[in-house]
Amino acid sequence: MTSLRTLHQAFDQAAATASGYWFTTHESERWRSYAALRDSSLQLARSLRDAGFHRGDLVALLLPDAEQFLVALLGTSYSGATPASLAPPATTVGLPRYVERTVAILRSSEARAVVTTRRIAAELVTALAAARSAFAHQPMVLIVDDLDATAIEPDLAPSLDDVALVQFTSGSTASPKGVTLTHANLSANIEAFGGPQGIAISGGDIGVSWLPLSHDMGLVGMAFGALYAARPCALLPPQEFVKRPAAWLRAITRYRATVSFAPNFAYELCVRRIGDTAELDLSSWRVAGCGAEPIHADTLAAFAEKFSPAGFRETAFVPCYGLAEHVLAATVSPRERCPRIERVSAGALSEGTARRAGDGEPSVALVGCGRSLPGHRLRIVGEAARVLDERMVGEIQLAGPSVMRGYHHEPALTAETIRDGWLRTGDLGFLSDDELFVCGRAKDVVIVHGRKFQSEDLEWAVEHVRGVRPGRAVAFGASGEGSERLVVVVERDGTVAPAVLAEAIRREVADVFGLAVDDIVVADSGTIDRTTSGKVQRGVTRSRYETGSLGHPFSA
Amino acid sequence: MAGPGIADIEAGVIEAVTKISRRPVAPAPEHDLVADLGFDSLEVLELVAELEDRFAITVPEDQIPAARTVAQVTAHVAQLVAGRTPRA
Repeated sequence: MTSLRTLHQAFDQAAATASGYWFTTHESERWRSYAALRDSSLQLARSLRDAGFHRGDLVALLLPDAEQFLVALLGTSYSGATPASLAPPATTVGLPRYVERTVAILRSSEARAVVTTRRIAAELVTALAAARSAFAHQPMVLIVDDLDATAIEPDLAPSLDDVALVQFTSGSTASPKGVTLTHANLSANIEAFGGPQGIAISGGDIGVSWLPLSHDMGLVGMAFGALYAARPCALLPPQEFVKRPAAWLRAITRYRATVSFAPNFAYELCVRRIGDTAELDLSSWRVAGCGAEPIHADTLAAFAEKFSPAGFRETAFVPCYGLAEHVLAATVSPRERCPRIERVSAGALSEGTARRAGDGEPSVALVGCGRSLPGHRLRIVGEAARVLDERMVGEIQLAGPSVMRGYHHEPALTAETIRDGWLRTGDLGFLSDDELFVCGRAKDVVIVHGRKFQSEDLEWAVEHVRGVRPGRAVAFGASGEGSERLVVVVERDGTVAPAVLAEAIRREVADVFGLAVDDIVVADSGTIDRTTSGKVQRGVTRSRYETGSLGHPFSA
Repeated sequence: MAGPGIADIEAGVIEAVTKISRRPVAPAPEHDLVADLGFDSLEVLELVAELEDRFAITVPEDQIPAARTVAQVTAHVAQLVAGRTPRA
């Protein structure tokens, strides 16, 4: 195995080559070599030093632009402070509401500074002033364009065990989860994933990505994957892909790209929204990574069928399983293999056994996600912490050098999540010939379009809507085509008509999270099951929703 | 003045919204894209792309969140079609 490197060492080595990133939009293309980016980063590092930030200070990055984000992340790291990435505002979400949420994260994370754009800064300064009393120390708001002092010479050599990055992945408010990763974590995962038993990155590889850099797949998988291998990668703004999915495949065509990842929904969007494939040439694409949300066999088959005339090979699909708490990937499918699909009995699966379905039996098609990365371990655990045999469904647990240091400033949550070195993912799966099949997950996360949302955050927002009984809101994901459906169940306090309440909830969730609620159940008092300590029972509520036994409440 | 009238634009916007909406509701001018028609952030951008193609306009990115109802979208498209700068 390649020896581990710090982010600084990897960047220094990449800067000694001619490689770099293209920052590409529909109307422009800007090439920035790693050497040039490093110079900009060192200028930003000096500015942070001049502003008085020290080793270990948390600096939050709120930057929608890819180049600014990468320069700020690397520059913060060179300065000795710790970069923390937060999801930038979605274009459709009102900036004031976004900023309100962000202030809550800044407060609980005790960030010392925020690096952002002039536009966001204006809102942020106002919101921070209004919340002054809630802070012991308010973070300093810095505008990225102003951080251009004379470059420093790199004068710090962090150790592999130092924290390299904190990722606030779920962008949560009620309990922000900052995934804390060390330099060793990053390097171990990137090298194993890119190595010969992973996707085997070599000197001819070229990446294309439109994934947000606040997401582990975009930042670690694509941008850092290219940087650590000193290979070029084209980075497109995420909204350009969503607006016109063909932009992604046109970029692969243009750059003769070999490596590009995306969640399932992106492949689905391409099937649904791209008309003409004549000008596409996808024959260079050897690693079409897929992960971050449940992978549907139907989506992969439809994509392969539609784009094979454009040179796409089904063997390019590389389904993966991973999560930010494990840097990026935990398992990766073998290269040059068509997706491995298993049809398992739906009945047996619901009882915890993955038996192959017989003819005519109701079945579920699951996509194999490959074996665990070299140097890493994976096990399936059932009731009473028993390690299960193949084909038995249980919780996926991971151990090895990619397991995060912990959640930022959340020792209790960290201790609950990592026990004796094993990361409890909350996801359910089974092994077949050592290959992982993911078939469900703990009920407290909703994944929509590859973005993870904590149920308790959604519930926190919903509970603030007038007309909802305090503490009586449940949010969960139900399976749907392409992506998950977001379902909200609330008890009403009787002051607001159900239809009005449902609309207010939709608007609240749309404003705060940029998410559409697919179904809202407005029920009477006492409908939602609770534990003896008064907490809502999400799993029970979800089962009752799915079996239609919530009674006859108003549904919108 | 040349170009489509406001009625044509509204009809075009409703057609585009209908095409993208997954909810079985006939879009009306007063409908909110998100609250009433179930649009998520992806579908809002899909609508922008559809409107840009249909009306040969470019919707500035920072103006996308401003329009929430079908009527607001229509007014916005009409301004862009007329080539006027949007009034505050």
